[in-house]
Amino acid sequence: MEVDSENGLLQRKQATYQSLDETFLIAKETYKGQQYSQIYFARLHLMRTMLYSLLPTWKPHLPSCTVLGLEQGKECIIVGTLYKHMKLKPSVLDEYSKERSASPLVQPRNFLHSDDYLVLEDESGRVKLRGALLLPSVYVTGTVVALHGKETGAGDFELEDVLEAGLPHQIDRPLNSGEDKFVVFVSGLSVGSTSANPLHFQLFVDHITGHLGGEKEQGMAAQIVQVVIAGNSVEIGRGLLNGQNLGSRDQSKLSEPIKELDILMSQIAAGIPVDIMPGEADPANFALPQQPLHRCLFPGSAAFNTFRSCTNPHSFELDDVRFLGTSGQNIDDLAKYSDATCKLEFLERTLRWRHIAPTAPNTLGCYPFTDRDPFFIEMCPRVYFVGNQEKLDTSVIKGSDGQVVRLVCIPKFAETGTAVMLNLRNLECHALTFGSQFDS
Amino acid sequence: MASTGVKGFFREKKKGKPGAAKKSNKSASCGSDVVQSPALISHATLDLQEEYDEKEEVLRQFDMNMAYGPCIGMNRLERWERANKFGLNPPAQVENLLRMEKANYLCLWDGRA
Repeated sequence: MEVDSENGLLQRKQATYQSLDETFLIAKETYKGQQYSQIYFARLHLMRTMLYSLLPTWKPHLPSCTVLGLEQGKECIIVGTLYKHMKLKPSVLDEYSKERSASPLVQPRNFLHSDDYLVLEDESGRVKLRGALLLPSVYVTGTVVALHGKETGAGDFELEDVLEAGLPHQIDRPLNSGEDKFVVFVSGLSVGSTSANPLHFQLFVDHITGHLGGEKEQGMAAQIVQVVIAGNSVEIGRGLLNGQNLGSRDQSKLSEPIKELDILMSQIAAGIPVDIMPGEADPANFALPQQPLHRCLFPGSAAFNTFRSCTNPHSFELDDVRFLGTSGQNIDDLAKYSDATCKLEFLERTLRWRHIAPTAPNTLGCYPFTDRDPFFIEMCPRVYFVGNQEKLDTSVIKGSDGQVVRLVCIPKFAETGTAVMLNLRNLECHALTFGSQFDS
Repeated sequence: MASTGVKGFFREKKKGKPGAAKKSNKSASCGSDVVQSPALISHATLDLQEEYDEKEEVLRQFDMNMAYGPCIGMNRLERWERANKFGLNPPAQVENLLRMEKANYLCLWDGRA
């Protein structure tokens, strides 16, 4: 896209893009009546093989055994999936319980309780864990860890040490090379919602396509090489979705948010490559990995080859910088079942556990894979993002092998009017905020 | 409660093969032997050939072996291929039975659980 200016034409910068979403597509999977035990087995096998390879560098002198092979008093290492027994976790059986109190069945946002305990499970059996090392408030059901300890007289496992998978291997790429190129992240546009101001989104589109501002602003906009929309782009009124037959007026109300989004997306796609990911509120499937939004929803934008509909989670490489991120369901679920000081801590934990969504399929909807677990992180990304959070938050974490990852929490645009700009050269982030109220 | 009822229902006999459940084996396989319901005994003779012969016995042992993961919801050939892909070295005999001799694809519990 070119912009007229006094010094000549401004050219938008470009970056090489490669999609890595193939592992999240489920077109080739067939459902044959399998249950979730299959994906748990695949996950355990995958991560146990990987943890066994780390054991020689961690504690080479200790033997490893299965849960069934535990002997009382003998120190050993066991590897298995954690299960957290939570007192307050909502259960579908509560609906059928005899004593029904007047209060609603599912209330608290966070289901932690001081009585929660952890259990380690593998194919042969399960054992309750004791010891202050593994805090039940930090771990969730579905993480695979290696534990060092011994069986007590009571049949529990007394913990002495824990080994998490740690950050995966990262391909070395020198930072601070090349020129400034920016990636813009935005999420929670909520087009069609009564609380979102359409002017803010229009301002955003105009700014990044270079239609606003003078030479300096257009110069900045010309450095944007990619836009990533991380979920919840539309909001369809709940009143229309209660299963009743819709009249023709209501039917057009149902499709208006998507049509409005398509118009704005085609404005973006005309100038910049844009990736759109489905979120919780979008017209996509419920279970993770969410499949790409269908092209027929975007008749205007899909005509451009810069428009890409992507899966959630989404992984891609831009100029050899690896990106990985979700629209927020995995982190929000972690926030319900575990505790941390900020969302970035959840992000870091999922990376160190090498699993994007450990609570799937326990409390997070998931497709029942039989022979693989696509949420297992094989290669360490350079940028790990999550959408639809309350505020913009970012940090850098380092791994034991020299891995460096930039963590980004993308705020909801409809509430904050803020998008995130990330510089590919040095992975630094800053906010791009749009407002329409001025105190003067 | 349910397990004691089932144990009384099915007669179990040890196979006589040594090492059916060795400690050195990483997998703990439960091979319980057949499975003859008293209701099917007609005229005091045991109806052993119902749908179940030696080949099926091998396949059922494969189904029950925990090292290869859960068997419900997958057919036996897929489970064998998954075990192969994971590097668990499933017995080649099972593959032969499923591919060459066209033995029963469905697992032991198919339709029953």
